[in-house]
Amino acid sequence: MPGRIIKWIDQRFPLTSFVEHELTSYPTPRNLSYWWNFGFLAGFVLVLQIATGIFLAMHYKADTALSFDSIQHIMRDVNYGWLLRYMHSTGASAFFLVIFIHMARTLYYGSFRTPRELLWWTGQGLLLLLMATAFMGYLLPWGQMSFWGATVITNLFRATPFFGDQVVVWLRGDYTVGDATLSRFFALHYLFPFLIIGAVAVHMVALHSVKSSNPSGINLADKDNIPFHPYFTAKDFYGLGVFLIVFSIFVFFMPDSLIEPANNIPANPMQTPNHIVPEWYFLPFYAILRSVPNMVGGVVAMGLSVMMFSFMPFLDRSRIPGGAHFRPIYRVQFYLFLLDMLVLGYVGYIPPTNQTLLIGQVATLCYFGSFFLHPFISKAEERWMRARGLPPELLALFEKRPPREKLTREGEAA
Amino acid sequence: MKTFMALLVLCCIASSALASEAKLETVKVGIDVRTVERGVDAVMNACRPCHSMKYIKYRDLVGFGIDKQKVDTWRGDQPLDAALLAQMSESDAMQAYGKAPPDLSLMAKARDGGANYVYSYMMGYYVTPEGMPGNHIYPETKMPDILGISAATEAAQRTEIQGKARDIISFLAWAADPHEQERHRLGYYVLGYLFVLTFLLYLVKKQIWSRLK
Repeated sequence: MPGRIIKWIDQRFPLTSFVEHELTSYPTPRNLSYWWNFGFLAGFVLVLQIATGIFLAMHYKADTALSFDSIQHIMRDVNYGWLLRYMHSTGASAFFLVIFIHMARTLYYGSFRTPRELLWWTGQGLLLLLMATAFMGYLLPWGQMSFWGATVITNLFRATPFFGDQVVVWLRGDYTVGDATLSRFFALHYLFPFLIIGAVAVHMVALHSVKSSNPSGINLADKDNIPFHPYFTAKDFYGLGVFLIVFSIFVFFMPDSLIEPANNIPANPMQTPNHIVPEWYFLPFYAILRSVPNMVGGVVAMGLSVMMFSFMPFLDRSRIPGGAHFRPIYRVQFYLFLLDMLVLGYVGYIPPTNQTLLIGQVATLCYFGSFFLHPFISKAEERWMRARGLPPELLALFEKRPPREKLTREGEAA
Repeated sequence: MKTFMALLVLCCIASSALASEAKLETVKVGIDVRTVERGVDAVMNACRPCHSMKYIKYRDLVGFGIDKQKVDTWRGDQPLDAALLAQMSESDAMQAYGKAPPDLSLMAKARDGGANYVYSYMMGYYVTPEGMPGNHIYPETKMPDILGISAATEAAQRTEIQGKARDIISFLAWAADPHEQERHRLGYYVLGYLFVLTFLLYLVKKQIWSRLK
């Protein structure tokens, strides 16, 4: 009977061939490490956020007079409301953690390089959507940090040339962050995840066209590919188990470590908190914003700091294939960049002093320096590596490597 | 690389410079019904004249296991579903102190340092050399030293007040997070389940990958 149903469907819809093409015979490099689990995990967290979010929305009130109370209603009176809410608030942090690791893996292994530029850029679009969604969601509990965070960030749009003040009012729906802002942020916070689903579909189409990169950074021969299912479904689900253990430790035993204490005080437009901090995932970018003394400059620098990753396919001039695995200087650069992100995160977290301002400015220079100097560094690295003599497997590839425009869709020589 | 080493050193200096804020005392929060019950009693007498706890209802106290008769004496003729509101009206409080006393429902989670902050604050009262009241943790506070720690000189008296403060904190901690015990209990089951599941998934993964030569 099931066979007959599937046959009936297959005559009308490419079910079996779709599953075969995308899953049971989708070729995947067999040498993928566990760093390749994080794309799947990001998809899982997206589903988790949408599922918990929809149920939270059933009890939440987007009204400045009611929203703080409605969160407490969820936390205290709704059956397992605390579980839904803590899963959702922890899920936001988990989402960024997973995405940051996913991006770090892409940078380390050079997965953004030809022919995966569009895959990388669709991912960048997803990052922007995720940031917007998280930012708007953070206003909804209507706590002190929600209100003042939204006030500070919407205020940045004053830097828009000519229409700055109008843009800010247009975003807020009022002269200050208020009921109009809360309602529209709620509406958009509910909408954006579905845009993210659409963007994920595009990301997946791009991925399944160019296929996964792999730790060697070199396209493998067909014999080194294995079907996604069952090998990587099994591996992804094992990784999911490990992820859920870490996630549950946060949800059940330390959920408030991810909620700023000041957000347990209802929003008060008359009283600015001593120290406004964004959520941890925005800290490095916030530190860059604060490092530039001029407001417009700071906004541009912050915007650019998120966008810089998109330029990586252009900035990397090395013709040595692969990622940091084969490139000693790039590897050092990668770890220094991670360190720089940590320094920026720390600077963004603590209250500003002259000392930390200086550290933040040096770290901001290092941040942009590592991108803008990358064309020269990568070219110098290539010369240095060739002078030292490439390992034979790289040399063969290096000499065979066609110019960019001759790459076919599969990433192989035409 | 040297730049980054220098940066790291600078970071360490900066973080030690920051640590100059007032040190918080660590308080051991009691989670048993008796401690919380004593805490409610103290809050009813000492705090509720001015402070509300609008997210806590009398029914919640009974639900937690506090003696129904005690709850009845606290609530008087108010219904069980009434919230624990302040006895002083907000306008009177504004007149007396210049600002409304904050609601205490979430107080144990609403300050950096959580319960430790509230405890240190209540124990932080002292008398300045000029004979004025002061507070180490929150110097601008408008609240009087309601537990009388600044006037207590004998060790026994101080211990008693500290015990009372601990009871209050225990109640406030419960009030801020009433499902904490349930959450922990469920958490152990969830983690236990996940460890078994993950181990099985690991075996499945190993089994499937062993087909590859």
